[in-house]
Amino acid sequence: MAAPPVPPVPLVSRRRRLRVGDWLERAAVVVAALVILVAVVGPFVAPHDPYRVALDQSLQPPSAEHWFGTDADGRDVFSRVLAGARVTLLATFVVIAVATVIGVVLGTAAALGGRIVDEILMRICDIGLSFPAMILALGLAAAMGPSLESAVIALALTWWPGYARLVRTLVRETLHAEYVDAARSIGMSRWRLITRHVLPNSLDTLYVQITLDVAAVILVISGLSFVGVGAQPPSAEWGALVAAGRNNVVNGWWVVALPGAAIALTAIAFNLVGDRLRVRNDPTLGNGGKA
Amino acid sequence: MLRFIVRRLGLMALVLFGLAAIVFLMAQVVPGDPARTAAGRNATAEQVAQARERLGLDEPLLVQFGRHLSRLAHGDLGTSLFTSRPITADLADVLPASVELVLAAMLVNLLVAVPLGVISAARRGRAADLAARLIVMFGAAVPVFWLGLMLQYLLAAQWQVFPLTGRLSFGVSVPERTGMVTVDALLAGDLGAFSDALAHLVLPAVTLAAPFVAVVARTLRSTMISALDRDFVTLARAKGASEWRVVIRHGLRNALVPSSTIIGMQLGWMLSSTVLVESIFGRPGIGAYAVNAVLQNDLFAVVAVVLVIGVAFVIANFLVDLVHLWLDPQLRRAGV
Repeated sequence: MAAPPVPPVPLVSRRRRLRVGDWLERAAVVVAALVILVAVVGPFVAPHDPYRVALDQSLQPPSAEHWFGTDADGRDVFSRVLAGARVTLLATFVVIAVATVIGVVLGTAAALGGRIVDEILMRICDIGLSFPAMILALGLAAAMGPSLESAVIALALTWWPGYARLVRTLVRETLHAEYVDAARSIGMSRWRLITRHVLPNSLDTLYVQITLDVAAVILVISGLSFVGVGAQPPSAEWGALVAAGRNNVVNGWWVVALPGAAIALTAIAFNLVGDRLRVRNDPTLGNGGKA
Repeated sequence: MLRFIVRRLGLMALVLFGLAAIVFLMAQVVPGDPARTAAGRNATAEQVAQARERLGLDEPLLVQFGRHLSRLAHGDLGTSLFTSRPITADLADVLPASVELVLAAMLVNLLVAVPLGVISAARRGRAADLAARLIVMFGAAVPVFWLGLMLQYLLAAQWQVFPLTGRLSFGVSVPERTGMVTVDALLAGDLGAFSDALAHLVLPAVTLAAPFVAVVARTLRSTMISALDRDFVTLARAKGASEWRVVIRHGLRNALVPSSTIIGMQLGWMLSSTVLVESIFGRPGIGAYAVNAVLQNDLFAVVAVVLVIGVAFVIANFLVDLVHLWLDPQLRRAGV
């Protein structure tokens, strides 16, 4: 392709602009990967036992020995943040996995199951999408008895309608693609058609949505723990860490500030990664989406 | 247009019915025996049986659901186990504080997000745009409860710019009329109390607004960018209109309609976010009431809060749809 006659000056400034965005996005990928790594190995590399109480070490400010200081019970905050990465990310992962499975099954059923099934499932989705997931999850988790498991189940049960509706739309679009017609015409069974051709080709957009939802779920899960219906003490879940430090914030800002910063940083990283995937996945956002 | 309204009303009725069903199910999954809880810790088997009969717990589930619906229709949300008062009365006491907070947060939201979105779109790709987008990025990812604690620590505890908690300083009081302290102070003509109430409102409102600012600024930016690329903007520029006139009169005005839907819906979201904010700042609103109910294991109160916030949310969204219909003539003609 011949190079179009582009004036050089705007091109340079555009390139410079791209660099800032690219730098941020690369940093986000690194941070997200690092958080996942910490979730896997965190408890093994933690300098101290995240659950060992040492009352003589209560509320020490950050130092070489305790990078993030210690909490009111003398536990090392840095070790607790490392250990909490696993708790928070695992809870988030389970919520999204369960919601995705329910969403894919019901969304596909709605797309393929005929008018009545579709109508019933979509009206249920309407109801689910009509309220903030957090407030429904709060009620459900409180009813089941406050614990991280309750919060996870409650949130998964309130999070799936968005996925179901998205999958329904995607499957319906893919159903009319030529290669699906071709597969159908050679006599492929309905089940095989759906699992081998329709679903794999319709779910790209779902993956992007899932990545974008990671941050949202982290914020809600830690919020539920903060309010008291999620992870209970002495869990190192990030929201629970912030909640545990809130009564001592004047004597020990670090107990609240640093776990909360971990939540914010993780959420920013996953949001940026999700944005990047969305732009790559969407051909209408050409030009790398840098408009 | 009438068809649209009727359909929306039908959907709203369905959603409210669904909410009532969900809330009913919540009360069913409680571990333990509600009759025993109601009868008290040292109740005899006979007293428990009496409580079961009194509460209708020995009847079929469908009959219980029917009675649950009729109670809701009469505005009866049950009795709080903690305050021993009707929950409806409790909520009537706490709601004004939350409404005051939500309205203040919405004001902060608009005052920050609209300029942010406009500057971001008008100076697309420049330093101002980048700065605005960084603010949005942070606002979308920050946990509100953490932001609240940090603002409280820095601006109230350390630098003492704002009061720590509560709605009024010690010794200041206003005659109660609406339950919203700022409004009551104005009604009483007490400017000192008004500024005191306002100072108490700033930090909670800013905290509550943060995530919503991100959403509005981002939406406004993208809708304004597509509006500014339209032909009528080129025409306005060709006619020699000043850049700010183009941006405000042609860009912002056309971007406001889609953004207004989102801003309206946020009122409901904000009410649910009070759960995370009010208890930090010691504001006795519906969110703090919910947190307290959770801590006291007062399940009926928790469920009632879910119900009330849910209903407020549904009604707010219905009103938003009506306003949108009124603002956007294209929608009316299409008869969607």
